[in-house]
Amino acid sequence: MADTLAVPGGSGARTLAAGDPEEAAGAATGTGPPGPAPASTRGDAPTADDRATNFFRVAAGTRFPALARPALLLRRTAALALLAALWEVLPRIGVVDRVFAPPLSEVLVAWYDLLVGGQLVEHFQASLIRSLSGFALAIALTIPLGLAIGWYRPVADFLSPVLELFRNTSAVALLPVFILIFGLGEPSKIIFVFYACAWPILLNTISGVRTVEPLLVKSARSMGLGPFRLFQKVILPAAVPTVFTGIRLAGAYSILVLLFAEMVGAKAGLGYLIQDAQFSFRIPDMYAGIITISVLGLLFNLLLVTVERRFSTWRTTS
Amino acid sequence: MTVTPTLTETRTHGRAENPTEDPAENRAEVQAKIGIRDVGKVFRIRGADRPFTAVDGVDLDVRDGEFLTLVGPSGCGKSTLLDLIAGLTAPTTGRILIDGRAVTGPGLDRGIVFQQYALFPWRTALANIEFGLEAKAVPKKERRERARHYLDLVGLTGFEHRYPHELSGGMRQRVAIARSLAFDPDVLLMDEPFAALDAQTRESLQEELLRIWEKTSKTIVFITHGIDEAVYLGQRVAVMTSRPGRIKKVIDIEFDSREGDLRADPRFGAYRHEIWTLLRDEVAAAQEQERTIG
Ligand SMILES: Nc1ncnc2c1ncn2[C@@H]1O[C@H](COP(=O)(O)OP(=O)(O)O)[C@@H](O)[C@H]1O
Ligand SMILES: [Mg+2]
Repeated sequence: MADTLAVPGGSGARTLAAGDPEEAAGAATGTGPPGPAPASTRGDAPTADDRATNFFRVAAGTRFPALARPALLLRRTAALALLAALWEVLPRIGVVDRVFAPPLSEVLVAWYDLLVGGQLVEHFQASLIRSLSGFALAIALTIPLGLAIGWYRPVADFLSPVLELFRNTSAVALLPVFILIFGLGEPSKIIFVFYACAWPILLNTISGVRTVEPLLVKSARSMGLGPFRLFQKVILPAAVPTVFTGIRLAGAYSILVLLFAEMVGAKAGLGYLIQDAQFSFRIPDMYAGIITISVLGLLFNLLLVTVERRFSTWRTTS
Repeated sequence: MTVTPTLTETRTHGRAENPTEDPAENRAEVQAKIGIRDVGKVFRIRGADRPFTAVDGVDLDVRDGEFLTLVGPSGCGKSTLLDLIAGLTAPTTGRILIDGRAVTGPGLDRGIVFQQYALFPWRTALANIEFGLEAKAVPKKERRERARHYLDLVGLTGFEHRYPHELSGGMRQRVAIARSLAFDPDVLLMDEPFAALDAQTRESLQEELLRIWEKTSKTIVFITHGIDEAVYLGQRVAVMTSRPGRIKKVIDIEFDSREGDLRADPRFGAYRHEIWTLLRDEVAAAQEQERTIG
């Protein structure tokens, strides 16, 4: 979501694609064209213009023309305002049933009540801890693994059938297994998030290592670099943007799948809040939960995109 | 301005810095900076039953401080030969000698400049130039200074902190040349470095390369598919046959003076025609090969 905010002419479709497992897979396995594939999920589209304009637009760091920003902001805000207005008005004039879709103001009041009552913080915290635990665990374990697999061709050849198999096994399909093994408590949820996050990171890391421009490797070798220094000074930095693409996808997954787990069996968390509100017909509360989770996803992605940008300022579409 | 006197001068200078300790019986080999002795390279191709001979029986000596250009039909093994000199691959037959010693692998006594620049996109211009110096374990402060010096040399003062994608093609190639010069190799190997540039940029880089060569007294092996470029830059032009590549002829390029428009010199046209005639048959043969063997 956050990247589309920053991309002039970017569409919602791009955002959806970023969370789409199919595209993640395409970016990661290297079965598609190497290099440009991860770029499709990157979301820093302005760099596409770089090649055409870099000769003139030499000042580094000016990713957007200064004037475009306020105008863009206005256009984005306008769309949001329109959505909010429709949500407020349509239920009131009876176009939609206000029992199932109460006006936005009622939802916001419910949200405020939940916040003041402390339930929102409690559920939010429960979700965040689970998400972040699984996400962090995935980063810590799968990046080193991915680097090793990508770097040692025999390891990659040995593991690739297994990886293919698991990659195509939906995390959601495995939730019952996790619950069976780890019970209904926290461990099963964290491991479930971990599992969902591990794949995009792992596959992108492997692909990042394996799709390093051969000419760069050749160039570094010609300057006398041995395998270790080659890895440290060429492979690793070259792979960083692709790894970050995986991390960003994983960030989105960590919230998406957790929500599902919390709806299946939990006593706290935003997924539980939404599910429980629906069962007990507290419809405004349900929407309050949904808004909260959307904003959480938005902020999380914004954070990851910012970090990604910092590490990939050099990246171009070429 | 004549090139040769400058050369002799600087060549002696180069010698003094890199004394060769070869025994007297190797004198003949020490004469050449790069000695290519009956070199062949055979590739085994997966799926193909026959091995693939890229170059065969190549014999060529490159003198210390010389600017040698290498032309040949596409696919004749020019890049393969350069890789062999660089030590990136080992010859199947024959030997490659640098200062009389056999090449066993890549080293910082040789620098390569590729057509596609091969700059590290995550490093700024300055950091790219420092790359080879890091490999050479030069202290950080000195690295910075040297990198700046070579950035100035290629005329990019003020572009220190640009990333490659913020530079034009010509600027990128300048950075690549500076990177190769910075670790002070004796030999500069250049594989069609200006082929991707527009005509104007190419010409200005050609002039600058000559200027740098005269200033630094490097031995340069320069691959090109441009006959004009070969004649303009080279003291000698080596013409290769079609695959498997070998040296067909080496032509000495001599001008009375390099001043003024060299390309307007009648001898320029004569050299140009001679090389064109040599290449014509080879190009035809290469195209015939591509049709029949694939
Ligand atoms: N690593 C390799 N494996 C197999 N064949 C190769 C390899 N490198 C080059 N060749 C082949 O050797 C021939 C010469 O290649 P190259 O030296 O790149 O030619 P040139 O630079 O003169 O155009 C080409 O037909 C090319 O396909
Ligand atoms: Mg070539």
